[in-house]
Amino acid sequence: MRLFASTALALALGPFAAAAQTDITFQLWGSPQEGEVWARVAEAFHAGHPDINVKVEVADWDSYWEKLRVLVSGGTPPDVFAMDAPLYPDWQSRGALLNLQPYLDADPSALDGVFPLTLEAYKTKDGYFGLPRDFQAIVLYYNKDMFDAAGVAYPTDDWSWDDLRAAAKALTLDKDGNGKTDQWGFWAEAYDQEPFWGSVIWSYGGDIVDAPAGKTLIGSDAAAAGFEFIRAMWLDDKSMPTQSQLAQFGYDGFLSGISAMGVSGHWSVPDYAAAGLNFDVAPLPKGPAGRATGVNSAGFVISARTPNPDAAWQFVKFATGEVGQTELAKLGFAVPIRESVAKSDAYLKQAVPIRHQLFVDALAYARTKPVFRGYEDWASAVGDALATIWDGDADVADALAQAVKDGDAALAKAAE
Amino acid sequence: MKLKPADLLAFAVLLAGALMMVAPFVWMISTSLKPAAEQFDMRLIPATPTPENYSRIFELMPFHLLLWNSVKIAAISTFGQLLTCSMAAFVFATVRFPGRNLLFVILLITLMIPAQITSIPQFIIFKALGLYGTQAPLYLPSFMGGAFGTFLMRQYFQTIPMELAEAARIDGASLIRIFFTIYLPLSKPALAAFAIFAFLFSWNDLFSALIYLPSDLEQTTLTVGLALFQTQYAAQWPLMMSAALVSVAPMILVFILAQRHFVSGVAASGLK
Amino acid sequence: MNGLRPLGREKLWVLVLLAPTLLGLLLGTFGAIFSTLGLSVFDWDLLTKPEFVGLQNYAELPESRLFGKALWNTVTFSALYVPLVMAASFCVALLLNRGVRGEKLFRVLYFLPVVSSPTAVGLLWIWIYSEDNGVLNAMLGMLGVEPVKWLGAKMVLWSVVIANTWGAIGEGMIIFLAGLQAIPREHYEVARLDGATTWQRLFYVTLPAMAPSLFFQAVLATIHAFQAFDYIYILTRTGNGNSSFPTLVFSIYREGFRFFRMGDAAAQAVVLTLIILGFTWVYFRMQRRWGTT
Repeated sequence: MRLFASTALALALGPFAAAAQTDITFQLWGSPQEGEVWARVAEAFHAGHPDINVKVEVADWDSYWEKLRVLVSGGTPPDVFAMDAPLYPDWQSRGALLNLQPYLDADPSALDGVFPLTLEAYKTKDGYFGLPRDFQAIVLYYNKDMFDAAGVAYPTDDWSWDDLRAAAKALTLDKDGNGKTDQWGFWAEAYDQEPFWGSVIWSYGGDIVDAPAGKTLIGSDAAAAGFEFIRAMWLDDKSMPTQSQLAQFGYDGFLSGISAMGVSGHWSVPDYAAAGLNFDVAPLPKGPAGRATGVNSAGFVISARTPNPDAAWQFVKFATGEVGQTELAKLGFAVPIRESVAKSDAYLKQAVPIRHQLFVDALAYARTKPVFRGYEDWASAVGDALATIWDGDADVADALAQAVKDGDAALAKAAE
Repeated sequence: MKLKPADLLAFAVLLAGALMMVAPFVWMISTSLKPAAEQFDMRLIPATPTPENYSRIFELMPFHLLLWNSVKIAAISTFGQLLTCSMAAFVFATVRFPGRNLLFVILLITLMIPAQITSIPQFIIFKALGLYGTQAPLYLPSFMGGAFGTFLMRQYFQTIPMELAEAARIDGASLIRIFFTIYLPLSKPALAAFAIFAFLFSWNDLFSALIYLPSDLEQTTLTVGLALFQTQYAAQWPLMMSAALVSVAPMILVFILAQRHFVSGVAASGLK
Repeated sequence: MNGLRPLGREKLWVLVLLAPTLLGLLLGTFGAIFSTLGLSVFDWDLLTKPEFVGLQNYAELPESRLFGKALWNTVTFSALYVPLVMAASFCVALLLNRGVRGEKLFRVLYFLPVVSSPTAVGLLWIWIYSEDNGVLNAMLGMLGVEPVKWLGAKMVLWSVVIANTWGAIGEGMIIFLAGLQAIPREHYEVARLDGATTWQRLFYVTLPAMAPSLFFQAVLATIHAFQAFDYIYILTRTGNGNSSFPTLVFSIYREGFRFFRMGDAAAQAVVLTLIILGFTWVYFRMQRRWGTT
């Protein structure tokens, strides 16, 4: 009889106990190491929420988006997934993401201490459908060994673009004397606006795009002056490697040790350190209209179709909170979105001894990277047109006219 | 057997071509043996060769698990393809029935549609069958024939004289018997070639593994692991090359095993 | 139409032998064909409900920024690649089939590029084609020729054709070797007794007997050419994930998976499929004519 009773109890409780455990999936792009960091965050979360298990899955950037599209359109979305701010409107406007506003209204202090600029990209008129996970501001990287060898003074916080140009010229060398350049003064990824040309245009007083109005703005005189500066450095001074010169060393000229300066975000720090470079960072130089840089933040979103929105929210809240952000800061590739963590040793005293504070200071003069529906189509259209300048096939005015035309067409198509 | 000038010329031409084919591999091996500091040193023989990269990649990623998953899935797929494609190819090549050509063309069209378009409908079907999250979508389709294999085997079966089948039939052999006792044994070279391709397709199938399996290094395949590995160590060519070489080794082994069946005796020129 | 006419119980066997393929057709092929055709008349962004637009996706193809360029690139690439890879792999198979010394080793060596990962070997091709320190330009330099921009607008077509051909010779070689083994040796014997020269044997014995293999490989190489992606993308990609030599498959991928326009992607895929189907039909006619003579 006792046996019977306990069996009955177990039968009665069995389904209940199982239902009390919630499994959620968190998918992100990145390296296996990043996956491990988030698995650690998930473990810390589980300790505080023993009823929620988070399974972390990581894939490389291309694979991640491909898989995500199939899973979401096939009706099997992950509960929580990583989002890149420029792509966020495409997903948000199509109803794929859960509105987090009710949770934020219920918990008004959730966003206290988060840098406001990092939140901007995720704000919509209906509230937040995602929250930033980290932020990236672009700064100037320089290779100390190359500066020392050439006897050039390190970049200062007061540099203008002309100072950078002069230093880049002095650092462009043919070291083995075979008539071919083997060290360039400067390298930048110039196809996407984020690492370089966006900041240059802003600091020359130009602007990039007004998506709601359907206008690509890089055709202005101020913007053209900025593009002309880049063109002159690249094609006249030849102090930047061309695409074909760069290709044989990989994709990042600073990383492969062929250029003395580069522009990038904090994500490059682990790679540069692993490559054994002796480097530090400086703010981006000033232009005629002052100093500017771009800020972009990757974020968390929750699928609109998750069966466990509450559990998913608990995890997102935890990961964007102090503990999650501290783990992220220790990883060394991103800047935390919380002021308290950005001021803590976890961020400032990382293994790689560079001026980490500078990435946080950049928020004072930074602007958010444009974020709108149809971003990728627009960016490809503009990038392809600009490529004709860098390849030396078109002059700045013609290429910009083409970029504005194709960019506006892409904006019109996205607005349909 | 006398050595003729034509044979010498053939050998010389083949050797020159083979050098071009093999040069990248030699270079990959060379790079995989270089320490990180030498990676852009263009010398063929590394100044300080080291096998360390090979042990490191196994520490950085569970390559042995990935290799095992991939070999298992590829072996099952290859078996399924060899069986079901030759069955269909035999019918297409030897049996007369209405709609044969139409059916064959429809089959061929699948090869021509780029996979990106069909991936989402296919996913919805597998999900409806309850197979999402299992390895079944990676090998199950191999047991449902396929355009490439059916086409390849049909073309080969067409070269087998029809009289053989007709004679066997007069002796009372059933179709299935003709298939197993005449067509399959005569088709060893084609089956070997097909096995290589079937294994290769499964081996290189990044997309299915990516979509249907959790991105979990214990369960997924080598191609997914390699793609992940390449994002992390993109700038570290010695590591990348070691990983790439480890990942093609099983494929080369399969090729060496299969190619023994290419030879059906004395080659044509050996006849005097 | 030749072949055995199935009688009585044999009809059942035919069904059994075809069953797996028929199941595959039912589950996969029809799904693939109908979904592609179906998607091409809808606007579908993968996330919200598809919207029927009739033939609008097709009508918009000519004004698409990428499609025309991608189509032209793909067609010119295929026109060079298909004959080149067919001829090269057929020659290699013929030479290997003579019974040269080290034949087995040669086969492995020629097969290596087929299994090599484009990501790994792509970098080597970039080095070969590199403007400043490239192997090709170094050799030209010794002859006193100015450096060539191999991956620049003028030469890029040839450069990608060569890299792709290199990667595919081994594939054709396998198909042709298997085909060559199927030629009954008596045919050569008879031809030799009739006093046929090497060339005559090639034209009157080998080539007709190889018609099925050549047909197969022509169809396959055409499909490969029109769907070529890996090496081309690696050799020509720009910093923002675009390509200076976009191909049709790249354009389809970009529309469908990056720009949320599955309908446009499907319409491009239908055009691509029709082109390949057209070539296949031509090959079919050629095989028939050739096979009967």
